[in-house]
Amino acid sequence: MSEKKISNTFGKQSRREFLASTTAGVAAAASAAAMASMPGTALAAPKRGGTLRFATRVDGRGLDPHRNIIYYVSNPLAATTQGLLDLNTKMEIVPGIGSEWTISDDLMTYTFKIREGVEFHNGRTVDAEAVKWNYERIMDPKTSHAFTRSSLKEVDTITVLDKYTLRIRLKGPSAVFLANVVYYPCNLIAPDSADQADTHPIGCGPFKFVSWKRYAKTEMVRFENYFETDSLGNQLPYLDAIEGYPKKEDKVRLTALRTGEVDLIENMAYSDVGAFKKNNSDKYNTWDIPQVGCAYLAVQSKIGPFAMDHPNGKLMRQALAHAIDREAIHQAVFNGLSESVAGFYSTSSPWHMPGIKNVKEYDPEKSKFILRKLNAMGTPIAVVARDTYEYMHNSGELVHSMLLDAGFKATNGKFDNPVLRQKYKKSDYGIDSTANSYRFEPDGWYSRNVLSTAPSTKLRTGYKNERADKLIIEARATRDFQKRLELYTEVESEVNEDCALIYTHAVPLTSAGTKNLKGYQPAFAGPFNIAGGGIRTAYFDK
Amino acid sequence: MCLGGAYNMLIYTINRILQIIPVIFILSVLVFGFVHALPGDVIDTMAGVEAGEDPEVRAALEEEFGLNKPIYVQYFIWIGKAMQGDFGNSLVTRRPVNTELIERIPATMYLALVGITLSVLIAVPLGTLAAVRRNSPTDYAAQVTSLAGISIPEFWFAILCILLFSLHLAWLPSSGYVEFFDDPGKSIWYLILPALAVGFRQAAFTTRLTRSSMLDEISKEYVDTARSLGLPERKVIYKYTLRNALIPTITISGLQLANLLGGTVVLESIFAWPGIGQAIFQSIQLRDFPVIQAGVLVLGVMVVVINLLVDLLYRVLNPRVGMG
Repeated sequence: MSEKKISNTFGKQSRREFLASTTAGVAAAASAAAMASMPGTALAAPKRGGTLRFATRVDGRGLDPHRNIIYYVSNPLAATTQGLLDLNTKMEIVPGIGSEWTISDDLMTYTFKIREGVEFHNGRTVDAEAVKWNYERIMDPKTSHAFTRSSLKEVDTITVLDKYTLRIRLKGPSAVFLANVVYYPCNLIAPDSADQADTHPIGCGPFKFVSWKRYAKTEMVRFENYFETDSLGNQLPYLDAIEGYPKKEDKVRLTALRTGEVDLIENMAYSDVGAFKKNNSDKYNTWDIPQVGCAYLAVQSKIGPFAMDHPNGKLMRQALAHAIDREAIHQAVFNGLSESVAGFYSTSSPWHMPGIKNVKEYDPEKSKFILRKLNAMGTPIAVVARDTYEYMHNSGELVHSMLLDAGFKATNGKFDNPVLRQKYKKSDYGIDSTANSYRFEPDGWYSRNVLSTAPSTKLRTGYKNERADKLIIEARATRDFQKRLELYTEVESEVNEDCALIYTHAVPLTSAGTKNLKGYQPAFAGPFNIAGGGIRTAYFDK
Repeated sequence: MCLGGAYNMLIYTINRILQIIPVIFILSVLVFGFVHALPGDVIDTMAGVEAGEDPEVRAALEEEFGLNKPIYVQYFIWIGKAMQGDFGNSLVTRRPVNTELIERIPATMYLALVGITLSVLIAVPLGTLAAVRRNSPTDYAAQVTSLAGISIPEFWFAILCILLFSLHLAWLPSSGYVEFFDDPGKSIWYLILPALAVGFRQAAFTTRLTRSSMLDEISKEYVDTARSLGLPERKVIYKYTLRNALIPTITISGLQLANLLGGTVVLESIFAWPGIGQAIFQSIQLRDFPVIQAGVLVLGVMVVVINLLVDLLYRVLNPRVGMG
């Protein structure tokens, strides 16, 4: 079995090459570039100390990082966690605890070298046995969340070769395994701390857990033995502590920042961004963070007049697509801050695909023509949206109005997640105004929301396209970035033609912080606990 | 109170407590029934999209949380444990429900008690003064203020307070919560705005009620008699009239307190106050049955207890109130 080895000494490479980080060589390149691009290199003298007060939109659901999805975004607890690999500010996979790795030519065997000297917060060494224990715990349905578990579903065997070497054999070839274990994320906890994972988790991230009062406050302090250093060899992080304050309402977070109660906020309301930047640029920094994914309309294509197997289903879905005025949503919902998209990835993303075809332009007359031709004027359709995200149901309201104008008998409603889920199951909706993000590795999107056999596809849209399925599976086992991009471009063209998913807008998110917070740079898509950036390199200059 | 009166009071109290038992039982059945009638499947929520349709995962979760048992069996298991103070574990955080609630109830009680105290401290003197000085500028001012308090939505008043006291004057924090025993000074500092927002509206209702109740009492014959006997006006008003006039005020304040203990979801959102209202609301969104059940039951018991205390207070204020 031949293998490609990834070291940390790759030379400079292009961004595109970087992003083929699911393949062997480029992953190492990412590492080198990430280290070189650490803000620390550009900073004169980062100061140690201080407590960062960070207001987030949501709070964690629980503490055990295997049972709960602790996203890199919006969850203060993410500061305590760390996986085998790391992400940098460009959301590229870079070495972390796994300092290097090799991937066999058949894409079925991944061998990781574990960085020596890394510790969990309780002093236990992070070694190959610890990683194996964590992965086996994640693979156990009794101790993990299905979402996290799904990232390891390809794993066949995990073998400890020596104290710092781990070999993972997959059931089938996969070029996306590295991305899966970073993204979902497979965070590591100390094997001797499982019994306290729900009350006081022991991770190995840059900050140690202190306390959590749900929806009130999360306290974390600097992990004094964290392995990462800046380019000058100074140990990271610089901050002494982080306090997380979940404040659900956008304006409440913004007011807390303006009154000096917090130093950093995320997810500003679109309606506030323009005025805030204009009036407060002398006091606050803002970061417009392009998102990986986008807002879109998911069409229920399982049963009824829009179904995949209905003789007129495709035409009816195209009639829906022609009725959608993206510009109106762009202005009315996103205050002109969004970007109309033809596929899941916006122009900000390295996975942007300029060659996507079959986008259905706004043409209500065409919609009416199709409906008249099919004698389907007045076809009922229910527009639904989740109640927790304002822009989703605001878009839903506009879509509802557009569909009425086009001749559909549309209704509109917003629902909480369990009810919406029930509607998906019963196919009791027509269009879901929704969004998806953070899928920096495209397989995370296409295999979970476009592939016909994916649980999410089956639950929601019921989309079926054999060619798209074949392309997605082929892309998953393809190393070459450019080739994958071409395959996904074809997938998107199929999706646009079928109109079961109607992509509408890429939505940026804006974070803001006080001027004295230096060295902070959230990653592309928003994660704040990242190699060479985020809270690890943040410090206060006063 | 004479010995006979004390005995009657004791019997009355015992009777009232005994009456509480069936109320709580019915409440527990209703809470359990309503929670399980909520649309949406809790297993779906717990398992997520990836595993929601996986029969093995579903079976394991149902087994773990006892959701595979008949509903009436689930009820008796739940109520049996609840009577011993064990409400089980949250389906979402997997922490004991007691922990989840214990973190929230003090914040809610703190805000509710201070809010209602503030309300009474404003409303009773203002309402009394308005009644005693009827049709005077004081009366008009009290009426306009209370009308404004009733008319202005609570959330809007809260936002105005934040704009004025936090953003413009920078006197008070706009949101957040600090436990009293962690740092009393800071805790009160964080409490002022939410308590003001809660208290102002409640005070508006109570001021009007106190005023009209006082006017009723002042027009009664015993007041004329007291005055004709030469008792000082201050004594007539504050010792005799106000005491009787306070009964409806206490009733309303008791109900207001009970209502506030149920949580003020909107104000809790505006002030990022980690109270029980938000906890229950968020638990409903996640279908976290054990937390919803325990939260509503505990609140229900608190409301019942407050009503009992209000009833007992009537008797203390006016011994002529019947024991029926």
